[in-house]
Amino acid sequence: MSAPTRPVAAPRSQRPAPPPPPGPADPGDQPVLARRSTPARMRAVAVALVLVGLLVAGGAALSFLGTDGSLARADANAAQLVRLQDIQTSLVRADADVTNAFLVGGLEPVEQRQDYDAAVATAVRQVTAAARAQQADGTVLADLATSIQDYTSTIELARSANRQALPLGAQYLKNASAGLRDQALPQLAALIGANERRVDAELSAATSVGTTVVVLALLGLLGLAVAMVWLARRTHRYVNLPLATATVVLTFFLVVAAVALASVSSTVGSVDRGSYATSRALAQARIAAFDAKANESLTLVARGSGAAFEEAWKASAATTTTQLGAVTSGASSSSGASSAWTQYTSLHEQIRAADDGGQWEGAVALAVSRSAGSANAAFTAFDEASSGALATSGADVAASLQGARSGLVPIAVGGALVGLLVAALAWRGIGRRIEEYR
Amino acid sequence: MSARRRLHGWALSGVVTALLLLAGCTAGAYTDTVVPTPAPPASDGSTSTPTSAPTTQSPQCADPLASYAPTDALPAPGVMPAGSTMATIQSRGRLVVGVSGDSLLLGARNPITGRIEGFDIDLARQVSAAIFGDPDKIELRVITAAQRIPLLQSGEVDLVARNMTITCARWEQVAFSAEYYLSGQKVLVPLGSTATSLADLAGQRVCAPAGSTSLAKLADFPAVVPVSGTTHTDCLVKFQQGKVDAITGDDTVLAGLAAQDPYAEVVGAAFTQEPYGLAMSSAAVDLVRFVNGVLAQTIADGRWAASYARWLEPSLGPPPAPPTPVYGR
Repeated sequence: MSAPTRPVAAPRSQRPAPPPPPGPADPGDQPVLARRSTPARMRAVAVALVLVGLLVAGGAALSFLGTDGSLARADANAAQLVRLQDIQTSLVRADADVTNAFLVGGLEPVEQRQDYDAAVATAVRQVTAAARAQQADGTVLADLATSIQDYTSTIELARSANRQALPLGAQYLKNASAGLRDQALPQLAALIGANERRVDAELSAATSVGTTVVVLALLGLLGLAVAMVWLARRTHRYVNLPLATATVVLTFFLVVAAVALASVSSTVGSVDRGSYATSRALAQARIAAFDAKANESLTLVARGSGAAFEEAWKASAATTTTQLGAVTSGASSSSGASSAWTQYTSLHEQIRAADDGGQWEGAVALAVSRSAGSANAAFTAFDEASSGALATSGADVAASLQGARSGLVPIAVGGALVGLLVAALAWRGIGRRIEEYR
Repeated sequence: MSARRRLHGWALSGVVTALLLLAGCTAGAYTDTVVPTPAPPASDGSTSTPTSAPTTQSPQCADPLASYAPTDALPAPGVMPAGSTMATIQSRGRLVVGVSGDSLLLGARNPITGRIEGFDIDLARQVSAAIFGDPDKIELRVITAAQRIPLLQSGEVDLVARNMTITCARWEQVAFSAEYYLSGQKVLVPLGSTATSLADLAGQRVCAPAGSTSLAKLADFPAVVPVSGTTHTDCLVKFQQGKVDAITGDDTVLAGLAAQDPYAEVVGAAFTQEPYGLAMSSAAVDLVRFVNGVLAQTIADGRWAASYARWLEPSLGPPPAPPTPVYGR
């Protein structure tokens, strides 16, 4: 507001004398300067207030649209995360199926073969869906598609060798599983890490972008207040109705905006610590669990030489137990998964005890059985319970983020209108005073 | 007017800048996802199981092939002398034998029957038959090459029948039966290859199990590019995938690989000597004598030749003369 001093310094000679204002007669040179400088300052104040109004309009629109966009992208990235976790779960599930089926011999059970086929089909479809959803993931997803292709083709070689009763089949199987862990899983880890970081970045943007509008609105209020005080001193009229209206409208909008932003912030916080954290923990628990299941079978396939696979089982199983523990402390929906998992781990111990005790045939019988009370049955129960809990928490994330978005676009539009209204009212309110000098 | 215009200009550019900053904060384009540079090649999780027997003979002995002479007459099955190692085995109810699970023809699991079978396994069953009168009173434990000596020393297995070469160095840790087969290192090449030895494979990639002496032997042929696999079967996988041009190892093991791939053949003459023996604990001299008796009988009555004919003849040709046992230890 210091700018209006410049027109005062403008020499008279630079422009033609303005038409004599109506009203009082010209009292002389000095009063003319004073008289002419006041409307000029008023005009400058009006322009400044209009600009502040426009800034509030633009800032409100962009802030709330930005918050809305961040939430939408967080939602989209969380959905991408679900897709990627689905791919990883499907791949380790396929591997668990095919390695378990190998223990049966040359003829794998039809239902396990079907489950393998379904899991691979899910993984392949999700890779395409993920590539369509996020361009930035495209290159790694293309590499992942190649890794899946390598894996499935090696599994087919293993099957054809196994079908001919050649020990070569078991080696192809081991190589396929190792390739999956050396290639596809690191690619998925990179994709999942990148999307987790994107979700985090968008969630924090959603809570920070909106604060700009609060700052702008406060500046606008300050400008209005200064202008009204200045105007009151100059004109000796204490209330300028349009400016007062603009102040009220802007204050109202500031309250609405602050409430909306606080609500977004609290929703984001609860999603981040609640359903989103649960989803991540459950997905990690499931991935590690299927990995453990595949390693259980690989230990038996190696028949006495599988100590490294049992170590891998222990590492994965510990991850699952830890992640399930983290979930159960927060949500009760996964308790079924936890108890089924505990049951499976104790049945796994029985399989290991049989194998380590020289009862390899007995251990295989335990490991491939699908009847009630078997390790496979307990694992299936875990799979169903955990996938149900995961679907619930995933839906919670999407619903919460979409809920947080509701009203943001109308507020953005409203904020733009409020800004324009402030600009118009300021122009009108000061314009009236300027009129009085004509 | 110009001053006012400048004022307008500043304000406008301020608005534009603020809006651009806002827009920049909320842009939705991400940098491409990248996979972190891979760490040094990770282990594939399987333990290294070199199936070729080490032939290091640094400690010298008069004759590694000399074993303990058998007792004059074998005790009747089921009636083992009291206090003998065989009696302990008999009272346990089964003979525990360490074997290979993926060396086709010597010891490998038949995926259809689930049974482990082969030339080595036949011999182990003869021992079971001699103790119990039943060749099936046997527990076959699939072990790695590296586990053979530790498991014998700890007493977890009674016998190892896993294409194990008799050497002076090993005699210091375990006891061997008389030689039951003389193997030797050869090469496996694609059908139609003109190569007949490692010397003909200059510039070619040749696979052998990691840590095996077959791989160490490749150092004698600097023109050959050595490639290590986790096992011989892994070498065959690499061979079928075109990652290696040939495989080297004991002729018996290579025969098992060739039997799984009609486009592979074992060629040339053996360039090392690998006498196989059944291994037992050094303390169980009575068991060694007993097993030597069983071995002599098996060779004498034609069961050795029959087993050879069943497992090895299709790949290795007509049976050689059974090895002549040497005793005198």
